[in-house]
Amino acid sequence: MKGLVFSIISFLMLLNGACQGEKTVVQEKDEYPHIFPDYVGVTIPLGIAPLNFRIELDSVFRSELNIQNSSGQNIVVKSGKNISIPIDEWKHLLKTSKGDSLMFHLDINRKGTWFRFSPFPVYVSRDSIDYGLSYRLIAPGYEIYSKMGIYQRSLNDFEQNAIVENTLFQGSCMNCHCYKQTSADNMSLHIRGPQGGTVLLKEGNLNVLDTKTKETLSNCVYPYWHPSGNYIAYSVNKTQQTFHAAHEKRIEVFDHASDIVVYDIKNNALFSCDQLQSDNHMETFPAFSPDGKSLFFCSAQVDSLPLQIENIKYSLLRIAFNPETGKFGPSVDTLFNAAGLDKTVSFPRPSYDGRFIMFTSFDYGNFSIWHQEADLWLYDTETGVNRPLDELNSDQTESYHSWSSNSRWIVFSSRRQNGLYTMPFIAHIDEQGNPGKPFLLPQEDPDYYDMTFYSFNVPEFINGPVDMDLDELEKTVNSEHIQVVFGRSND
Amino acid sequence: MYKKISISDLSSLLLGTLIFLFFVLFYSFHLHYQEQYQLFLFTFDYFFQRVMQPGGFSNYLGSFFTQFYFYPWLGSLIIAVMLVLLQRILFATAQNLRAEKNMFVLSFFPGLMYWGLLCDENYLLGGLVSILLISLTNYLYTFSKSGLVKMLFIFFGIPLLYLVSGGSVIFFFLFVFIMEIKEKNRSWKFLFLFYFLGISLIVVIPFLLKNILGMFPPVRTFVGVDYFRYPINFPLVVGAIGFLLVLMPFLSTFLSNRGFSQKRTVVFVQIFTLFLFGGWFMNKSVDFKREEIMEYDFYVRMRKWEEIIQKAEAKAPQSPLSVTCLNLALGKEGLLGDRMFEFYQNGVDGLIPDFTKDFTIPMVAGEVYYHLGFINTAQRFSFEAMEALPDYQKSVRTIKRLAETSLINGNYVLSRKYLKILQHTFYYRKWAIYFERALNSEEIIDRHPEYGLLRRVKLDRDFFFSGEEKDMMLGIMLSEKKSKLAFEYLMAYCLLNKDIQHFVQYFPLGESLSYFAIPRHYQEALIYAWDVSKSNVVKEIPYNINNQIKSSLNAYKRIYTSQSDPQNLLRDDFADTYWYYFHFRN
Repeated sequence: MKGLVFSIISFLMLLNGACQGEKTVVQEKDEYPHIFPDYVGVTIPLGIAPLNFRIELDSVFRSELNIQNSSGQNIVVKSGKNISIPIDEWKHLLKTSKGDSLMFHLDINRKGTWFRFSPFPVYVSRDSIDYGLSYRLIAPGYEIYSKMGIYQRSLNDFEQNAIVENTLFQGSCMNCHCYKQTSADNMSLHIRGPQGGTVLLKEGNLNVLDTKTKETLSNCVYPYWHPSGNYIAYSVNKTQQTFHAAHEKRIEVFDHASDIVVYDIKNNALFSCDQLQSDNHMETFPAFSPDGKSLFFCSAQVDSLPLQIENIKYSLLRIAFNPETGKFGPSVDTLFNAAGLDKTVSFPRPSYDGRFIMFTSFDYGNFSIWHQEADLWLYDTETGVNRPLDELNSDQTESYHSWSSNSRWIVFSSRRQNGLYTMPFIAHIDEQGNPGKPFLLPQEDPDYYDMTFYSFNVPEFINGPVDMDLDELEKTVNSEHIQVVFGRSND
Repeated sequence: MYKKISISDLSSLLLGTLIFLFFVLFYSFHLHYQEQYQLFLFTFDYFFQRVMQPGGFSNYLGSFFTQFYFYPWLGSLIIAVMLVLLQRILFATAQNLRAEKNMFVLSFFPGLMYWGLLCDENYLLGGLVSILLISLTNYLYTFSKSGLVKMLFIFFGIPLLYLVSGGSVIFFFLFVFIMEIKEKNRSWKFLFLFYFLGISLIVVIPFLLKNILGMFPPVRTFVGVDYFRYPINFPLVVGAIGFLLVLMPFLSTFLSNRGFSQKRTVVFVQIFTLFLFGGWFMNKSVDFKREEIMEYDFYVRMRKWEEIIQKAEAKAPQSPLSVTCLNLALGKEGLLGDRMFEFYQNGVDGLIPDFTKDFTIPMVAGEVYYHLGFINTAQRFSFEAMEALPDYQKSVRTIKRLAETSLINGNYVLSRKYLKILQHTFYYRKWAIYFERALNSEEIIDRHPEYGLLRRVKLDRDFFFSGEEKDMMLGIMLSEKKSKLAFEYLMAYCLLNKDIQHFVQYFPLGESLSYFAIPRHYQEALIYAWDVSKSNVVKEIPYNINNQIKSSLNAYKRIYTSQSDPQNLLRDDFADTYWYYFHFRN
């Protein structure tokens, strides 16, 4: 009996050895390894979580990863198909690699044979990044929603937790979370459903607003905080959706009408002006300039919908705004006449240093997430140059985007992995507006994105964890909401 | 050996056998129904997500066992074993409390009631697991003698049970509460500390864990376990069963202590009550109409078209969803034009149901769109059905459909995502592995009898979906793909809508399709239209109409035009004709 056991163990050890192969013989491959997420040549911030990845090859028995910086410090990770980098060692390596390149040397054992791929670089930027991201996790569905919520994720590690989930309010939906220039203390989000309202978290004070007034088209929709924290610009939209019977675009979401209003937080009142409420145009996607003296927005001429939806072209406009008086300027400037290029634009987002405006450009309409051709563009306010960000774009949808507080990083949503599930990509943008190669938000388990049922919707940088008192929120949502009034038209 | 088997053992065996046979023979499609509306994954993440909420472990175990419902015999066995286990634990608990053996029948009541609950497709197995775990804990508690052990039971048992069984923990506390009250040797100090600790933990723990273990409203935080698919409903009957769990052992002891002399009579009364109550409860719980709908739906899911038709021949379906399934089966077998009016028809809704925001109708309607080649719409309906699940679960049937539709649409990357998820399931793993490999070969997909066909007939021309204009959509599909099924659905749509004019107008679209003869109902509609139009320009009808149908129409007309109440007279001979549907079906 002992002999038999010994024989079996010996055989297994022999087999194991044969399978692993001796590393004395390594075949050199003159190419980068195929990995997911694609971290080859990306630029990362100092505080980012380990770039765990999966080797996209069959029959990987073993792998050895050696990450080195230019001063010779390194981490060695022995693993299999999925590679998890120890977080403490990774952080230490990053700290000593500021402005340096990390070289990832990867050896892979396939069916007993070792292969050595060309080492690939990862650039560690000198520019810091905010504490984390906030996003909505929602299945990329159509009309009905299951469990969803607004979540926050530390960029320093893999910790994600819910700010609020719709399970707290049965049958509700949550959307349009927004922060005042990444400030986690100043947040706005909508809860839709029986107990629906607009949740306003301002310096720790929580209120729930009923934003529908008889003078406005709908509840407040797309938000943007004024840098002073005294105002929030919202669109009000009459929205409809319809479904493509046979097309890669599944859904068409469009507005029949829309206006822009500004919510004066101190006075609990909405106001607007004729230019933002015109009858023959639809105005949407407001965004204040970082100095608070301008309001950017998108506007398109009204047409019959959905039949003429391909004629709906939004342009990027600007109107002056006086934060002291709450009055708008007399005229509207066109920053980007998208219709002239047979394009439309959405989500203008000025960088907080005031230099750039990033927006999404696509063929028609205003709901870019369902447009495969949607790409990110950058408008340089100093040079007036408008250009598509080819370094960031893919042949799939790139849509929502927001800037880090120092304007050196951008997070954007993209469907490039499978055409449906939106994932958050982060890219470095230098002072001249040149982007680095973007990287997918790292996850502890590289299979996470394959297994998730959720899209990462509206990713926003936050400067710290959001402290939402859920008991207070529940109580406030279930109590009578504060009715917002439409104060005046400030022409 | 046989002498050791008591009447109570035999009764348990009988109960188990009855439950097993009931679900296997009469209620197996309820099990299939349950199985499709969850997605149990053998992954740590799934485990973690399910377990990290009040009562999450029971939910997890419930889902784990539910996945085996795919095999009804196995599902029935699982239910039978669990219910018998519940009964045996209760019986053993009562015996530990010194109840007499002849009180064994009382221990059948909770199990019997849960059997009834499980006849409702919206009661989930996690609830039974939870109740079972509580019963087991109560049973174990009866062994504890020392005060310290009892304190430890309370101190560790309540938090642990709250985590694994949710709010059912209260039935553990009530049990120990009564048990300790009955204990004569306990000092009041002990009892005070014991109850204070118990009540504090029962109240404080859900309060402390609220919004930490998931975010739920207060009632749901306390209830925890998904006893019922709709979390908004408070499971009152489960509460009643919980109270029975607590009271039954004590009641057994109490009755035993009464010293009834007529032991057999006592057993007889218990059995009589059990049968009376059980019969009433089961009668209220069992819904064979829903079982029938589920059977049709299952056959559609498994593409068992002949079984559907055979079932309808034996007993014509009456519910709208069953009719939808039958029409699809007839269409798939090329019999819609020949046989659809042999069965009950409820208008165009029975052909392609409208979209509703629930998880059953879109699932079935999605099947119709899928087989017609409206792949995007099939994908949408299926996805919406999954998202409409009120217990926030995912549906394995939907995930499979999403993999299929993505594959047919040629989006292999997306299809691979769903296939990878399915590779972590029990039943669908092999299928998913095979098709993930097949994604590397266009030829395998193209040659596949279903996916290949649907690739060829799927709609390519885009337009906006309109549920109010299904005939227009079918017309576009037909003009593009010359699909026989689309033609039969378009014709059926016109017939069911009593739109003879468009029927005649669209009829020539089917000329290029492979028909040996004009289907019977089309002949009936054509000759009727011809007859009504009384065309003088062409005397002879330009369609090849069977002489029997011509003479049948004449007979029908004679009665219809000459009798004051023709419906009753026509029903026997003409109920399976289009003319009868046209005149008498609303």
